[in-house]
Amino acid sequence: MSGDLERRYRRVLRLLPRWYRQRWEQDMVAAFLDGWLTGDPETDAYISRAAGPGWAEVASVAGLAARLYLGGAGTPRRYAWGQAVRRAVLTVVLMHAVLGLDVLVFLVWSRRLVGWLPAAPGSLVVAPAGVWDTMYYLVCVAWIAIFVSLALRHYRTARALAALAIVPGLVALVQAQVTGMMPAPFGSWVFWVLLALGPVLAMTAFNRDAPPIARRPWLLALPAGYLLVYGPLLALQATGNSAWVPDFAGLCCILVSLACLAHAPRAWSRQADGTGRWSLTLVLLAAVAGANRIVTLTSYVHDRHLIAVSLAELLIMLAAAALVAPDAARAQTAAPAPPHPSAAAV
Amino acid sequence: MTGQAFFVLTALADGPRHGYGIVGEVAELSQGRVRLKIGSLYGVLERLAAEGLIEPDREEAHDGRLRRYYRLTRGGRGALAEEAELRAATARVVRARLGLAGAEAAG
Repeated sequence: MSGDLERRYRRVLRLLPRWYRQRWEQDMVAAFLDGWLTGDPETDAYISRAAGPGWAEVASVAGLAARLYLGGAGTPRRYAWGQAVRRAVLTVVLMHAVLGLDVLVFLVWSRRLVGWLPAAPGSLVVAPAGVWDTMYYLVCVAWIAIFVSLALRHYRTARALAALAIVPGLVALVQAQVTGMMPAPFGSWVFWVLLALGPVLAMTAFNRDAPPIARRPWLLALPAGYLLVYGPLLALQATGNSAWVPDFAGLCCILVSLACLAHAPRAWSRQADGTGRWSLTLVLLAAVAGANRIVTLTSYVHDRHLIAVSLAELLIMLAAAALVAPDAARAQTAAPAPPHPSAAAV
Repeated sequence: MTGQAFFVLTALADGPRHGYGIVGEVAELSQGRVRLKIGSLYGVLERLAAEGLIEPDREEAHDGRLRRYYRLTRGGRGALAEEAELRAATARVVRARLGLAGAEAAG
């Protein structure tokens, strides 16, 4: 009688880990069917054919699955992946926040919002922005608030702000798709999917079961990241070496490569404990940066020099990631999961 | 304790209930404000069971389906009483600050 409806719901439940389904699936199916079926055979036959789990029901199961797969407790493999995803998300949000900080500095300087600052170079002074530019600046600055919310463990606020922050980019991309003209300096579809939508979805990994974030180091990473990334870039530009400034995809590859090289000695040291989860994080980030680099290669099809440079960036990053990959693999099997989620900070 | 967990424990306070029974009771207790989806309910039940606040009571067949009933453990009863006291104390402070304490006493 409940065959079709039950089958549809069981299909949704496949989102959940197998161990969880073994324990709870029958219960969940019974409770779900109780909510639909009336006991009248004719009505139930109709309901079974026509009804199915709504989006809210599917979302609740998907949320539960995310919590179970990326929660704090469980097997070493699940714990390692949960930690790696959380750190990768924090790193990507940090990148957005650093870009936001750069936009903020640019606005403050170019518009003389602080009286005692010397006048900005002519190249930095811009004409009054339109609606899309204003929106772009707002979104960039909003990422600072999202990062700080995440680092201060206000996960719901961070998720809500991030979900709002990626909407203007989507609207601009859809408009560009329809009209053939990008209305604002937002990125491409690849950028939006890999570095906006993906991290926002992965923010479900920040939940009550997850180990708390180490607030201080992550908060300090924002000004430090700004100085470390934009200091050298500004120096290159100031010394007339702008040609050496990489594009965004290249910059991501270089940064991930440097992080892998810096982490490699610890990853290879047998004494260091708990390095594997950072190695796994770096491998994840390398995968994202690599995908972004490969797709953006299409912009340079007519420039063999830029193709060669982009491929070199990609290969160097892959080689650097290969140095930490064995440690990342070990993290999934050998690292013990802490007994309580609060035992290890992200 | 989350709002959902509080309502689920309250739904079990006067006796064991099965999954959908808890959903209905929570909706009634919250006057329709909390409508638990099954995924959310079992997320809460799993957590409460892991914390030892609820446990399976019995299983009953109903229209060819097996309904599993859950009940509060002694620890669950204590945790619920503690949470209720905490929430009541908070509510008293809020009412006093809003100048509603006298109205409550009079009413």
